[in-house]
Amino acid sequence: MSERGASAAKALAKFEALGFTHVLMLPDSESRLLYDAVGRSPSVRLITPCREGESMAIAAGLWAGGKKPLIVIQCTGLMEAGDALRGCGLGPRIPLRLMVGWRGYAGAIASKKPTDSAYTYTEPLLSAWGIPHWHLMRDEDLPLLDTMDQTAGETSLPAAVVTGFTFRP
Amino acid sequence: MIERMDLLRALQARRTDEIVVMTMTTTLQWPLVSRHDLDFDFLAFGMGHAADFGLGLALARPERKTIVLKGDGGLLMSLGSLVTYAAHAPANLLILLLENRSYEMVGGQPLPPRVDFAALARAAGFHGGGATGRGKVERIESLGGFEANLPRLLAEEGPHFVVLPVTNKEPLPPVNHSNHAGRVQKLRKALGVA
Repeated sequence: MSERGASAAKALAKFEALGFTHVLMLPDSESRLLYDAVGRSPSVRLITPCREGESMAIAAGLWAGGKKPLIVIQCTGLMEAGDALRGCGLGPRIPLRLMVGWRGYAGAIASKKPTDSAYTYTEPLLSAWGIPHWHLMRDEDLPLLDTMDQTAGETSLPAAVVTGFTFRP
Repeated sequence: MIERMDLLRALQARRTDEIVVMTMTTTLQWPLVSRHDLDFDFLAFGMGHAADFGLGLALARPERKTIVLKGDGGLLMSLGSLVTYAAHAPANLLILLLENRSYEMVGGQPLPPRVDFAALARAAGFHGGGATGRGKVERIESLGGFEANLPRLLAEEGPHFVVLPVTNKEPLPPVNHSNHAGRVQKLRKALGVA
């Protein structure tokens, strides 16, 4: 089993292989290296919103116009963006592809207290919205991006992978 | 001050193959003047995010203009978006901010009275910004001014953020929240991407 946390370079290579045209992403501590990698990509365009609800609507517009965006979002931002996810994904059946950073996961599995409430509510929230999601914790989990992408396409609904560790180079 | 229906008629008279995204009360009145496959009703798609959706469309379809008819109350719900437009908005995005100083859709409650939307857009970096570095922020106070400037706004490279103070004396048709997926599919079909 490889180290905890996926490689940012390998994740970006997967984004490119899956044909993502745009990545909408605010930087956070755990995904910082992925943010840097996407910013250097010649084929995937990085769009930085100011708040995550914007990401949902911009991605919906990109998809409506024929592009294939990926939203990289920390779980706290996902919580903030709930209405936009509902209105721009779930309601109109727009297949938003999400990579959700699960803040607090590493501490929670190490049984550190207090547990970040961002950890507590992430999976129940995804489940409540009916968003299928898979854990992407190491390099060998990167093929789950294919599963997520295929599921979103087949259902024409949002789908997600959830990352729990800091991205490595 | 511009009567909103007059403004919509003026826009419809000049519009050709542009995408038009509208939200809130404009979704009720634009269909009175336009039935076009590239009209998109954003009502109930996400509070305050109509121009964000328009930004995505404009980025995806650079060959045609995307026009967003947005309200000032909606802009207050996602004010940071101005900074996003200032960084990323492409040449073909035209945001028309219909400034009625109220939450008209839900009863006409007044907005905070001292907000200067054009100044906010300038301060966000929109003027001289956008992906082109040629973003423009304008305020047009009259129907005549709008009619005179509209050909330029439709033709020249942007992005543009135009504040238009409006009133409305016409009765509003009933709200229709239906068939959100169908709206998107219709737009994709019209764009040839379905």
